[in-house]
Amino acid sequence: MDYTKQIQEIASKLFAEGKIDVFVGYRLTGFDENQVPVLIRDQKDVSQLVFNDRSVFNLVNYLKYEHTRNKRVGLVVKGCDSRSLNLLLTESQVKRDKLYVVGIACEGVVDEQGNKMQNCMECVFPDAIVADEMLGTPHEVRKYKVNADIDELASKGLVDRRVYFEEVFENCIRCNACRHSCPLCYCAKCCIDQETATLYNGANTTSGAFHALMTWSLHLAGRCVDCRNCEKACPSHLPLHLLHKWNERVIYENFQEHLAGVHEGDRGAFYKYSMQDPDDFIM
Amino acid sequence: MNVEIFVTDKAGLQKFYEAIIARNETWAPVEKFGKFDFKRVSSLGECDPDSPIATTRSAKPLFFPRSAKIMKYTADSTGTRVKETDEDPFTAKRVILGMKHCDARSLQVLDKVYNWDYIDNDYQKRRQNTVVISTRCDKAETHCFCTSLDYDVENLDAMDVLIVNGTEGKVHITARTEKGDAFLKENLDPASCILHPVSDEELKKQYQAFAASFRLKMNYKEINEKLSKIFDSPEFEDVSANCISCNTCAFVCPTCHCFKISDERVKDTGVRYKSYDSCNNGYFTLMAGGHNPRPVKYRRWRQRALHKFVYYKERFGENLCVGCGKCAVSCPVNISIFEVVNQVASNEVV
Repeated sequence: MDYTKQIQEIASKLFAEGKIDVFVGYRLTGFDENQVPVLIRDQKDVSQLVFNDRSVFNLVNYLKYEHTRNKRVGLVVKGCDSRSLNLLLTESQVKRDKLYVVGIACEGVVDEQGNKMQNCMECVFPDAIVADEMLGTPHEVRKYKVNADIDELASKGLVDRRVYFEEVFENCIRCNACRHSCPLCYCAKCCIDQETATLYNGANTTSGAFHALMTWSLHLAGRCVDCRNCEKACPSHLPLHLLHKWNERVIYENFQEHLAGVHEGDRGAFYKYSMQDPDDFIM
Repeated sequence: MNVEIFVTDKAGLQKFYEAIIARNETWAPVEKFGKFDFKRVSSLGECDPDSPIATTRSAKPLFFPRSAKIMKYTADSTGTRVKETDEDPFTAKRVILGMKHCDARSLQVLDKVYNWDYIDNDYQKRRQNTVVISTRCDKAETHCFCTSLDYDVENLDAMDVLIVNGTEGKVHITARTEKGDAFLKENLDPASCILHPVSDEELKKQYQAFAASFRLKMNYKEINEKLSKIFDSPEFEDVSANCISCNTCAFVCPTCHCFKISDERVKDTGVRYKSYDSCNNGYFTLMAGGHNPRPVKYRRWRQRALHKFVYYKERFGENLCVGCGKCAVSCPVNISIFEVVNQVASNEVV
């Protein structure tokens, strides 16, 4: 999977035609084969762009910062990224006519050690759902399967689960990299940053981390698209996907097989109300 | 101080570590979720003091914890009463194993700010009661640039005991301070070591090989000078474009020392905490009334870079960066402070 040349050509054309102000893509770090997001504002810098299986970061995240706000943006999205973009469109956070989306039929990306990411192996929607232009061969329809980690977690029992997550939260340093790298966390002021509120615990303690991460995961319940930006961003390598995958499973099983952002105009599970919704569980 | 170099082998070093852990409260790098961090250990099997992978966070949390209790209080209709806090878990007598040189150096940098206009008693107590044992790295990692900064890595005296790996599996152990000397007398079994009088030839050789392994090199004087003139450079906007404004770099940084005060309160009783904060936060400079002098990302980024290489230098005569590269290792989007300051400085506006 290497679309470096095509993406450079597309970006170059868009700048030449004056269709975009900024192009969000990936460039090499300069010292190894890993990549960093880059915001190109001039046609002469287009040669920096690359795309291959190391293009891990979800670029939809950059639509919330001042560099792209109120600008015409060109953007590269993989399958999972496009689901988060779909949600942002539904939630009126970005305007579709301001975006030029280059969709990728993604074959899966790899981590820093070169192993295929776990979420890519379980990916149900590898092809970009929102796109003005597609690169790659589309995949056949896949069936959603419950994550094996969640099965293991569920088999542990309440007490063991609590012990396990206490260990996780103890290693959290509350840098909020998870929240800032999440494309769907776009609130200008997050509720867990309210310093004076007694409802939320602002101190950098284990109980504060518990409070922050649980609140965060519940705000993403029914919206998380499993791009794992948060987990890749976490400096302590915490298994944050467990929180989201747990919610995803509960929602899939109870809300008519709902998966976030897979249709245009699709809303998060909790935005919809139906008389058929069950109320016999606590998430 | 009369410098004695003890020479032992790997097995002797393991015994030395075991003796330390058996006799003292010991903190050492422990692996969790694939990353190393300093944790309290009770046996050598739990930890890896010689781990070539640097800890994610530095040893800073042991001296400036991510959250420290300042006070406890009760507040109800009859008034507010302040109570004594529990004993600080970090002020006990302890030993830290496996600190890298950059971490040890960062303590010297922090000492300056904690001994400045306000003397932080908790910090002083934590420092006095700690014996720092530092192992010199054999090879630089991708983001390391400690040799490019304003301290002498080879003759660093920030640690109490220095351990250097020599050739043929030999290990050199030497005290660097009076405290370290007394500690070695107490904990090192002389029967397992040969006492070398002066010959530090091998140490020099090891250092040269280490210094040659660096990918990143810069002239810090040039950077200090150039950065001090380019406050208005538009380059800051470009280099910070892909920053996502999280606090990771500041929280893992061994020298960043900003904090915030927050309460954890249940009904009438509460605890007041001093926790990490970072200038990358949008609300860091937010004032009562709503004015924010650093409302956009690039201004906050500029503050961080200039504080490291200009402002701190002006006040204390040192850089607020020890070249450990922890920020670049942990950054979600791989921004390296080394690259950024060099890029900004190279585009100096005349």
